[in-house]
Amino acid sequence: MNRLFVRRNHRYPYFYGRALIGLWALWLGFGLGALAQGTALPVNANAPFSTRATHLLGLENTKSNCDGTLSIQGNELQFQQDGKPGAELEITSVRQVFLNEESKQVGGLPMTLGKAAAPYGAGRVVSLFAHKNYDVLTLEYVGVDGGVHGVIFQLSKGQGDLVRNELVARGVSSSSGEDQRTKQSTAEVTHENK
Amino acid sequence: MKTSRRISWIIGVAAILATALAFPGRLPGQTSAAKSSGATSGSPMSVQVDRVDPGDSDLAYSFQVAIYEKLIEELNKTKQFERVLREGDRDAGNVPNLLILKTTVEKYTPGDETRRAVTTVSGATKLTVRSQLFTRDGKIVLERTVNGEVRFFGSNLQATHNLARNIAKAIQQSSSGSEQPSAVLGAQF
Repeated sequence: MNRLFVRRNHRYPYFYGRALIGLWALWLGFGLGALAQGTALPVNANAPFSTRATHLLGLENTKSNCDGTLSIQGNELQFQQDGKPGAELEITSVRQVFLNEESKQVGGLPMTLGKAAAPYGAGRVVSLFAHKNYDVLTLEYVGVDGGVHGVIFQLSKGQGDLVRNELVARGVSSSSGEDQRTKQSTAEVTHENK
Repeated sequence: MKTSRRISWIIGVAAILATALAFPGRLPGQTSAAKSSGATSGSPMSVQVDRVDPGDSDLAYSFQVAIYEKLIEELNKTKQFERVLREGDRDAGNVPNLLILKTTVEKYTPGDETRRAVTTVSGATKLTVRSQLFTRDGKIVLERTVNGEVRFFGSNLQATHNLARNIAKAIQQSSSGSEQPSAVLGAQF
């Protein structure tokens, strides 16, 4: 009984000591993590970035409406079709980047034909659910001859923001896509009310 | 009898040849107004496409860029112009007989692909623009109001393709009836 009491008395100082060490270790961990994050940011700005995208129009020697990989590496923005040589664009030549959202029907031509062939207007019901929101990324750049060019990419929702942020981190100025989204939806509402 | 007939034939042919040599450049359909115009120097015309002015509409940037790019593509397809230049092209200063194509959005009705697919009758994307061809010194050579829309199938951006094709067609039609667009365009000064 006595022995137990003594042992417990001895344990309390150890407990506080260990708790203090744990607290210090935790603090040190947070500190190191924050330090690592702080130093990692500039490295990430130059780190290669890639995502799947559809080239809608604008790039020379690249088909319209073709799928591929959009990547940013160093000072180059590259779009590479699957198994074909890529088209490159210098990021310093990009003057503006715009982002807006677009809702599209999925499935392409086969789906459209299938919906048209479906009896009793079943295709229309399918259309109600067969749509998806995409990010539409528009770049305006200056060519070697000084002429203004435009390129439009379609990306999965959310990916457009990432690409835009990568480009902005590399010095490209961005127009407020949010403003445009609001404007567009307002216009649609006004039109519906007419 | 035979010799006099032969002589009259020879004189007739000689007269036709003499007339043809005396007026070498005049084509049957060419008007004097077109000839007197300073812009019809005979050398082919080039065009510089300017970026789309959204006007008062809230046309998305992607639509503006799509119209601009599609216009360049469609104008190249018509082969009406020797060169189709972009806005800001450094060569523009050295190109003779350069026309400048300005496009201003007059009306834009945003559509919805899903609504088109479900209802068929609503959700059309409609664009109305004013296309103007200017000379370098600011004179309007051609002015047209052109529509582009997508009513049934296709994405909203398809409207820009239809619009650009209609603008190119309008320019082509304005120059039809003559081999050189400059003759007709010049006659409209």
